[in-house]
Amino acid sequence: MSSTHQIFDISKFKVSCGNCSLVELCLPWGLKVDDLNELEKIIKRVRPLQRGDYLFHTGDKFQQLYAVRSGAIKAYRTTEEGNEQILGFYLPGELLGLDAIDTEKHVCTTVALETSSFCAVPFTRLEELCQQIPGLQHQIYRLMSRELSSENQSLLLLGKKSAEEKIATFLVNLSSRLHVLGYSSTEFRLPMSRQEIGNYLGLTVETVSRIFSRLQKDKLIVIDRKLIKIVNEHGIRCMCTGNKESSSKSRSATGH
Amino acid sequence: MINSLIFNKDLITRYDTLGPRYTSYPTAVQFDESFCHDNYVEIARSTNEEPVPKQLSLYFHLPFCDTVCYYCACNKIITKNRAHAAPYLQLLYEEIKLQSSLYDRDRIVEQLHWGGGTPTFISHAQMSDLMRHTRDAFSLRNDDRGEYSIELDPREADADTIALLRSLGFNRVSLGVQDFDPEVQKAVNRIQSIAETRAVIEAARKHAFKSVHIDLIYGLPKQTVESFARTLQKVIELGPDRISVFNYAHMPRRFKTQKQINKADLPAPTEKLNILQHVINYLTQEGYTYIGMDHFARPDDELALAQKQGTLTRNFQGYSTHANCDIIGMGISAISKVGDCYSQNVYEIGEYEKLVTAGRIPVFRGLKLDGDDLLRRDVITQLICHFNLEFEQIETRHRINFNDYFYNEISILKGMERDGLLSIDAERIRVSPAGCLLVRNICAVFDKYLRQTQAEQTFSRTI
Repeated sequence: MSSTHQIFDISKFKVSCGNCSLVELCLPWGLKVDDLNELEKIIKRVRPLQRGDYLFHTGDKFQQLYAVRSGAIKAYRTTEEGNEQILGFYLPGELLGLDAIDTEKHVCTTVALETSSFCAVPFTRLEELCQQIPGLQHQIYRLMSRELSSENQSLLLLGKKSAEEKIATFLVNLSSRLHVLGYSSTEFRLPMSRQEIGNYLGLTVETVSRIFSRLQKDKLIVIDRKLIKIVNEHGIRCMCTGNKESSSKSRSATGH
Repeated sequence: MINSLIFNKDLITRYDTLGPRYTSYPTAVQFDESFCHDNYVEIARSTNEEPVPKQLSLYFHLPFCDTVCYYCACNKIITKNRAHAAPYLQLLYEEIKLQSSLYDRDRIVEQLHWGGGTPTFISHAQMSDLMRHTRDAFSLRNDDRGEYSIELDPREADADTIALLRSLGFNRVSLGVQDFDPEVQKAVNRIQSIAETRAVIEAARKHAFKSVHIDLIYGLPKQTVESFARTLQKVIELGPDRISVFNYAHMPRRFKTQKQINKADLPAPTEKLNILQHVINYLTQEGYTYIGMDHFARPDDELALAQKQGTLTRNFQGYSTHANCDIIGMGISAISKVGDCYSQNVYEIGEYEKLVTAGRIPVFRGLKLDGDDLLRRDVITQLICHFNLEFEQIETRHRINFNDYFYNEISILKGMERDGLLSIDAERIRVSPAGCLLVRNICAVFDKYLRQTQAEQTFSRTI
């Protein structure tokens, strides 16, 4: 006689922030052990999303913040003309929903770019907890500040003049975020498509592909389908500021 | 590098085993019937998402033939009734529409090939229609820089056909000849005069086709060294840019039409080897470069140049200069290579019709390659295209230690090294001039699946 299999319900799984590899990036950072236990009690693990699944839609009632545990998420808004405008991409350790606190409604739609998992933090309970744990309140301010700062980064990125600068900055940004997560900063798989990169940066797909090809031709990166290998880190960083002279191999440096 | 080639009869006899031709790795025997429309669609769409999507290579299978050539192992339909082509072409247009909807329009068609069957079985109007449907659905090049080729049966084409094909965008032509000897032609039911062949080649030159390729077969009934030498001499006089000399594999149980070949008429194994020896000596003496397997090319032909530059690759049509394409095969039994997958269309027209009219990509089997498959495919392609394998290249690309990963394979290769097929040290494998003809055997060492299928004897003999 075999016993019947229990279906694993991830939402019942006890969250343990203390053991989470993302602890330094997420809410519990800096909390004392007792406070951490209190926080863990209110956090829920939600069912993982498959590629193309939605986390929340624009206009949904805001009830909880989501912390990305694994995978990658795209956040977008639909314009009045019915087009999708991508606002950003979220990686593990990053929080989704902070922009809904004000109106109590989500102001963007979020969809998984690959299999992704999350922790959900009911916001009312979090607010209550903040009154008991000052450190937590401070951490929320920090995370909101981080979000604002990354918004600024995006604005700076979109303000870049050339397509080349935009793509280089995009890659460097992705690379440093992955580095913080403990992944390789020089070799990574793009979770988003070239259409999504183009949409986000305000470039056509043809331009995105043309620039990627050029970066490869100039031996700054190597592309194997969606896998990117940065082979000249200095060069690509120089390119972010439009400094082509030092990104190409100083052809003119030898002088005449 | 110009490949020097040594014909070593003793070695060839010793290594005469069954083995795949590695137009794909894993070979089609490994394709799995659980792979269907949905898998294909998902993979095709995902290739558009790459930062730099690969350009496209289109293959069209036109299966009709007016008469049967007894040696043929292709998927074909023999009919005198030309009307049979029209309904098939309608279905093919449907498939073109279905396939093209999956691929972004900025993906340029770098390579295009009509194979068969006999592609020129269809009428001139149908040829124009097929190309128009293709142009409407895909982004073909208009600057003549693509590699657009067609398999021609000189008995089914004249100067007008050639002119039309050129105006449709074809710039490379591959002619089926097999053998000019009348006795051999009778024995295989393919009567084709030199004059017909010459007329087609002259027309191709006049219309500035960039490459003319002639297909020959050795091992056919009634062939002798002397008769094939005469054929080769006539072929050389026609001045093709490329010549392939395929080995005839007599497998009448698998390929029914081969039953009509009288086994007693086949050249004995030693005679067959003597023919091969003559082929190699004669063609190299006439200034052709040995590309590999069964292919020869003039030193200034693109294939020879690609080999020199290390960009040669192998696909279902043999050797190719376009390594970096996603290949879409359309028509019955056509094979696609998209993303990290292979897939194959159904063989039978009724089945094809059912799927295509239901709006489904008519795939019936395929395979998603895993990391090990990709690694082994890379190794096999390097060996078969360049006769040389630098471990460091493979190690960087696949993040392995070659000597650890292929510990068992290397010990088998050491045996081949003692036999003089290759040399192997800590950094590379170099196929020796005597090993070039046996490169299939060397590749087979890296074929993980072969050990499982070897006993079933599903492959043709290597030589």
